[in-house]
Amino acid sequence: MKMNVKAIASWAITAVVLSACTAVPDSPGLEYTPDMYRSAAIEPYVDYGQIKERVNPELAMKMSAKVPPFGTIPYYGTDSAEVAIRLPFPYLPNVAFKQTHDLRGFDFSADDTYLLAAGYSNNPYTLTEQNADKIFADGKKLFNANCAQCHGEKGDGKGPMSVSGIFSGVPDYADKKDLSNGQIFYSIYYGKGAMGSHASILNKKEIWTLIHYIRKFQDANYGKFGEAAVVADSATVATAEKK
Amino acid sequence: MKLSNTQMFRKINKWCVGALTVVLMTGTFNAKAQPDGATLFKKCATCHSPFKDGTGPKLKDVRAKWADGGAKEGSINQWVRNWEAAAAADPYAASVAKVKPTNMDKFPALTDEEIDAIFNYVDAQEEPVAATAAVDGGSGGAVVEEESSIGWIWIILGIVFVTIILSVGGVRRQLTIANAEQEGKDVEDAPSYGAEFKAWAWKNRKYVGMASLVIVISLVVSLFLALYSIDVREGYQPSQPIDFPHSVHAGINGIDCKYCHNSVTESRTAGLPSVNVCMNCHKQVTGTTPEQQEKIKKIYEAAGWDGSVYTGQTKEIIWNKVHVLPDHVYFNHSQHVVAGGVDCIQCHGDMKTMKETAKVQPVSELNKLEGNVKLTKPTLTMGWCIECHDQKGISEGPLDTKGDGYYAEIHRRLLNNDPKLYQEYLKDGKVSVKELGGWECAKCHY
Repeated sequence: MKMNVKAIASWAITAVVLSACTAVPDSPGLEYTPDMYRSAAIEPYVDYGQIKERVNPELAMKMSAKVPPFGTIPYYGTDSAEVAIRLPFPYLPNVAFKQTHDLRGFDFSADDTYLLAAGYSNNPYTLTEQNADKIFADGKKLFNANCAQCHGEKGDGKGPMSVSGIFSGVPDYADKKDLSNGQIFYSIYYGKGAMGSHASILNKKEIWTLIHYIRKFQDANYGKFGEAAVVADSATVATAEKK
Repeated sequence: MKLSNTQMFRKINKWCVGALTVVLMTGTFNAKAQPDGATLFKKCATCHSPFKDGTGPKLKDVRAKWADGGAKEGSINQWVRNWEAAAAADPYAASVAKVKPTNMDKFPALTDEEIDAIFNYVDAQEEPVAATAAVDGGSGGAVVEEESSIGWIWIILGIVFVTIILSVGGVRRQLTIANAEQEGKDVEDAPSYGAEFKAWAWKNRKYVGMASLVIVISLVVSLFLALYSIDVREGYQPSQPIDFPHSVHAGINGIDCKYCHNSVTESRTAGLPSVNVCMNCHKQVTGTTPEQQEKIKKIYEAAGWDGSVYTGQTKEIIWNKVHVLPDHVYFNHSQHVVAGGVDCIQCHGDMKTMKETAKVQPVSELNKLEGNVKLTKPTLTMGWCIECHDQKGISEGPLDTKGDGYYAEIHRRLLNNDPKLYQEYLKDGKVSVKELGGWECAKCHY
């Protein structure tokens, strides 16, 4: 009898030890202080459906990456020039974009707003001699991170994704000189054709910066002021003459 | 002339002569210096593909389709120039106007010759066979399986050996007892296993003592090693709802990390792309192999995309978190990426070659990458963090006091406040993060 108890106990211990090996495969393993791992406050990318014993079915898979409440107005400070850059774009997306470009939470217009935007040539992020270098440097970073995979680092429509044939018909910016600033903004913000909406990735200031940078592809003298522009011109003339 | 060309083309098409005739036709067109359909089609290709419905419907044999559908003569060319006028004039065109929700752009400048050239070009295209398939294979899985089966073999071998030893021992004991019985000795007095072992151990007490010392020390050491390994998550690779291959996206297609993880420059978290970012490409990219198509279908279900429109019926994609930091640690991505200028590969490794789902890269892998600060402690542990804070210098050069960057300003202030201390910092050629307070507890724990 005594032996039986011993045997049962040792088998039980073995079973417990072995069962530890077959835990949940996605578990990250042991933690020293689990109660200090889980934030009681809401954190991004954490499921609050169940925190230890406490079950919150109404929070399960609900708290990650939410959009701001409808009607929220972001605060951009008190500098009126800075605020002007981020004012809402005056043209609403065409109503078809709800179905074709996945624009949720937007108001729509029944008009062909892309054509109307051709009349909008103003870029509220004004290019001046002082901020030109910063705008083009920022624009380059943004362009290479967000646009270059299709449009190419030189803006010629020859990014890795269009060269490999995944996307066809990516235009060369040099052929699109007649587009207004408003139309370029429209295309980036709401999308155009095969291109999707980038409203969730880029804010308005970033888009206006990108438009300056895109204009630079179309005109090498864009954003050069006063003498610099003239010097650049004469320099190209001089090299041309040498040849 | 141009009318007869079109008619001739239709007839031939109806007589089911295939691509050969089209090539011949385009050959005759070229002889007359006709417009280049390939160049012109680039305008259309933004929305139309020859073989696949995209923003606009597929265009291969679209003229035959219109003719079969009962469209009026020349109506399709009018549609290209101004679809609204065509829809008003032709009932078939009016029905086509309802196919896609997007309004087609108008191209009033295109002539009939040019439009015909475009359609001829499109009709001459051959659908590519899925040759670019199998970009990523499942070779990784096979290797893992092999490794684990080797482990099982060792365990089974071990069990077999232990069984043999025990049974041999048992047989020996039974033989001894049987022997004793034969010789007429008292079987009850036969020493038990324990007593036998005690006697043997006492006889060899020197060796047994040394061996047990070694065993005790190694047990203590392994206990400490086991305690150290708690919470170390190198190689942690949870399963994901979609097996996302970074190698295809960041590697082959050259997409920047910041396109999808776009809050990395603004926020504490690098951000997982919401499904609309996936759809910016995957609306077109449907996959070439059944395996890829199966994965991409999950994105469509999540986005509510039924192949031509967004239905609004969305679903969550529930990813498993890979890099889990405890709540008592504060880490900010934007600080490291924007101000610190740390490359993603320093902590996450070269994702351009990562065929499987994301995992916590072991520090040995990270050290192999060029340009990385070489570290020794396991990834994501505190030792690993502060080791880097000790070695990493701020900004590009040690004397970067010009410019308007965040750390240029720091250098300026250090130089102005206490030049002697600044020179001391610069003895190793850099001002490290530690020297700026990167080892202060409250930097990360508060």
